[in-house]
Amino acid sequence: MDLLNTLFQSAPWGPLRIGLHVVFLLAAVYVLKQALDLRAVTALKHLAKPRAGFGIAAVLVLVGFGAVLVHQATWQLFGTTRPAFVAFMQLHDRRQFNPAHWIQRGRILGAAGTVLAETRAVQTSQGVAAQRYYPFGPDFAHVVGYADPRFGASGIEAAANVQLNGGNPDSWQDWGEIGRQVLTQAKRPKGSDVTLTLDAALQRLAMERLGDRAGAVVVLRPQDGAVRVLASSPSFDPNHIDADMFLRADPRARLLNRATAGLYPPGSTFKVVVAAEALDRGFSGRIDCPADGWTTSGRYRKIRDHEYYEARRAGRTWRGHGRIGLDTGLIESSNVFFAQLGVYLGHDAFRATTKRFLFNGRISIGAGHSRQQFMRTGRIPRIATSDRYGLAQASIGQGKVLATPAQMALIAAAVANDGVAVRPRLIAGEAPAVVGRFMRPDTARRLRRILRRVVVEGTGRGIDTPGLAIAGKTGTAENPFGATHSWFIGFAPADRPALAFAVLVEHGGYGSTAAAPIARDLMVLAKQRGHLP
Amino acid sequence: MAKPARSETFTERWDARAPERRLLLWVLFGIGVGFLMVLGALPKDGIAVRALDLLPPLGFVLSFFAAHALFVAVGFRGDQLMLALVAFLAGIGLLAQFRMGVYAGDVLGVAHLVLPVGVALLALVTVALMDGRYRPLAAARWFWAVLSLGIVVLVLVTGQRFRGAVYGAGFITPTEGLKLSVVLFTAAFIDRNAKALAKWRGPIPFPLLRPLWPLALFAALLLGLLLVQRDLGLVLILGLAMLLQLTAGTKRVGYLAYGALAASAAGLAVLEFFSHGQRRVASWLDPFSDPTGAGWQVLQGLSGMFAGGLWGEGFSQARPRYTPIAESDFIYAVVAEELGFIGSVLLLIFFGLLCWRLILIASRAKSPFGMLAATGIAAVFSVQTLLNVGGVTKAIPITGVTLPFISQGGSSLLTTCIALGVVLAISDGEPKAVRKKTKPATGGRRRRAATS
Repeated sequence: MDLLNTLFQSAPWGPLRIGLHVVFLLAAVYVLKQALDLRAVTALKHLAKPRAGFGIAAVLVLVGFGAVLVHQATWQLFGTTRPAFVAFMQLHDRRQFNPAHWIQRGRILGAAGTVLAETRAVQTSQGVAAQRYYPFGPDFAHVVGYADPRFGASGIEAAANVQLNGGNPDSWQDWGEIGRQVLTQAKRPKGSDVTLTLDAALQRLAMERLGDRAGAVVVLRPQDGAVRVLASSPSFDPNHIDADMFLRADPRARLLNRATAGLYPPGSTFKVVVAAEALDRGFSGRIDCPADGWTTSGRYRKIRDHEYYEARRAGRTWRGHGRIGLDTGLIESSNVFFAQLGVYLGHDAFRATTKRFLFNGRISIGAGHSRQQFMRTGRIPRIATSDRYGLAQASIGQGKVLATPAQMALIAAAVANDGVAVRPRLIAGEAPAVVGRFMRPDTARRLRRILRRVVVEGTGRGIDTPGLAIAGKTGTAENPFGATHSWFIGFAPADRPALAFAVLVEHGGYGSTAAAPIARDLMVLAKQRGHLP
Repeated sequence: MAKPARSETFTERWDARAPERRLLLWVLFGIGVGFLMVLGALPKDGIAVRALDLLPPLGFVLSFFAAHALFVAVGFRGDQLMLALVAFLAGIGLLAQFRMGVYAGDVLGVAHLVLPVGVALLALVTVALMDGRYRPLAAARWFWAVLSLGIVVLVLVTGQRFRGAVYGAGFITPTEGLKLSVVLFTAAFIDRNAKALAKWRGPIPFPLLRPLWPLALFAALLLGLLLVQRDLGLVLILGLAMLLQLTAGTKRVGYLAYGALAASAAGLAVLEFFSHGQRRVASWLDPFSDPTGAGWQVLQGLSGMFAGGLWGEGFSQARPRYTPIAESDFIYAVVAEELGFIGSVLLLIFFGLLCWRLILIASRAKSPFGMLAATGIAAVFSVQTLLNVGGVTKAIPITGVTLPFISQGGSSLLTTCIALGVVLAISDGEPKAVRKKTKPATGGRRRRAATS
């Protein structure tokens, strides 16, 4: 006994134990070989000949064992392909030797290789542990998301969870790596990196310019949908996730990704949609726009232009636009014009437009192995055919019309891309895909010229910058929660658009004062960084 | 094909069973090496190795060699592989249970006795029933039927519920005995009525009810009562075994088809009326919906397996105790954690070999009753093994059945040993001149010994 006890505690026991392990497995294999060798001797010659049918039963049983082993392998050897399983082990498995605790999760990179998330080895009281680190903290929190064994994962961390854990081999090299890790029982499994289309510098500028204000910025390339900025403010720090964040009702809704899930009245920016519909249907008339507004019925308040209110506040009288065409209506952002235009086009046209612009839906912007990240497009409930005032309100982006900033950016991108909407995508290397044609090419070209004039001579003239040729549409959206939301959507440069954008500042006042300058600053930096010609 | 009946001299008998001896020696060598590793784990946990710890392997070695010696002494002609296969499986079971601390007590306990007694029973049943002496078991068919129903009713009346299963007095599970008594009754019944049962009539072929109704009534009563006790695993095992016996005895595959229909209906009914079954299926489909509750055990087992990887941490290195009550139903997870995926492949190959051997003996048994009994036992063994490993690896919902020879549990081990003893006896073949019948009561007494 003492001999055994000393042996087990002595230094050579470690290697000896591994030797014994091998000997044990070899002995088991040798027994099987012997059983095979002895089959001639052990045949049951004195019994009857085998009956028919039993062979099938034996094969079925063996197939059953085989199936169990295959299924077992998907957990035991390739468990990293199951994100929920990995999270369970990281959280609930007390076995320190479990490789799940040591997975070197892949990095999440920006377009230029900027590290947005990485796993670091951290010294803790229980030894070295792997910890997720987000160098830019709140700036990318919504889009990159967080990965926490307790609170799960969000954003790209969730959408690309399997890849990041190394469980999504898509090349022979990856398979070789997985095979090597399984064979050598690697205790530090490594995942694969995921590269995004985001430009870290632009995103950080967007967050900086939003500052304390709530809002969202989306910038993307119209031709292939590569998303350069997807910012939402206020944000949270993914480096410090705690239960409080999820439990306490947060009046500022920091967890909400306003860019892809925030539903706002789009205000005047929605006039681009109505204008596109009118042009597509060949509208070329003029509409009389009285100074003191227009309404569908005497029972409803008149819809008026902003100039009317400005003049009244200053104690002057405004003479009104008079009979104007679509160009002037859009450049001057005339509510009276578009309310009448919408009602003129009618309910059926409005419904068709809503459908063609993909409202009331969602679009995948980051396809992962098991999950996807979606953007909502907006919500426009059916307006009853008898409700003409509702249609007039909807035609100026008020009333029942709600849209996400990402959707408004997609609409701007469609105008910039000859009417074709390309799926916004976050993960570099995903093939561009068309989600729909929003308008005819000539409509888009005409709108581009008009929207350029908005910035040159219309409501957006404050931000015109030499050399950028920004085109866009301001929006000042009334809402029941306080001051108006400030919108600016557009693209640059106007003749050959390379970037489209949507900027929203909650309760920011006029679109031209809060949102438009942010868009201008972003385009200036984008030009410096080579995104614009 | 009939060979000269039995070797006469001791040398001939000794040589005749050389293959069995050779295999057995290698198995014991391997298990011995494994035991050294398991012992080596004790100091790591701060426990000194005691002389008492050497007792389980000693009992293991001695009992299997005694069984072999007995086979040699009586000139047993039966299967040469099975004893070695059983020894390997029981050896793995011994190692795993030693790891789980089953033998940690300070005194000689029941745990030390279960395996030697089981092996002794296996050998004694074999010797007692060999040479065609198993045939009288068929005569006692109503005894088996009454015994089976008696066991179920007894457990229903006196049993205590613990961790979802029903136990008789003192954690003995008398229902384990059903795995033998039901099989023997079914075999005997079909043996007697094979012709009538094989006659099917009707535009849509259907078995005649007149010969079938006693068996059908018995099955309905038995399985119904078991369902009431929520022993889904046992219902599956026994139901499938009876259907397979019917099919084998009548060569009517239709029995399996109708059985599948009845099983689906019963399955739906169970899901409809028993929240217990619903919960199991729900936690099987998505264990992550309640990871720290319903999914905890299976997920901990799988975590251990994942940690074990391909080669395993080695006996003594892993932490299988993190899986709750792993020593009984989840012992397979322990083996997969400590010996890795390779180890579990090896273990399942041994299980597969044993199943194949049982099926082979069933297919070659000379008497129809022998064929039917062996078929039933092979079915019980195979289905039980598949249900257990399938449940632990989450391939199917957990049914709460033990893994033969590996799981802790005396009733299960003893029943399996006796059942395999019967098959071994059948594999011995028939005497040259068939003897007249012996007393059927012998079998009855043995059954009671197994269930207490």
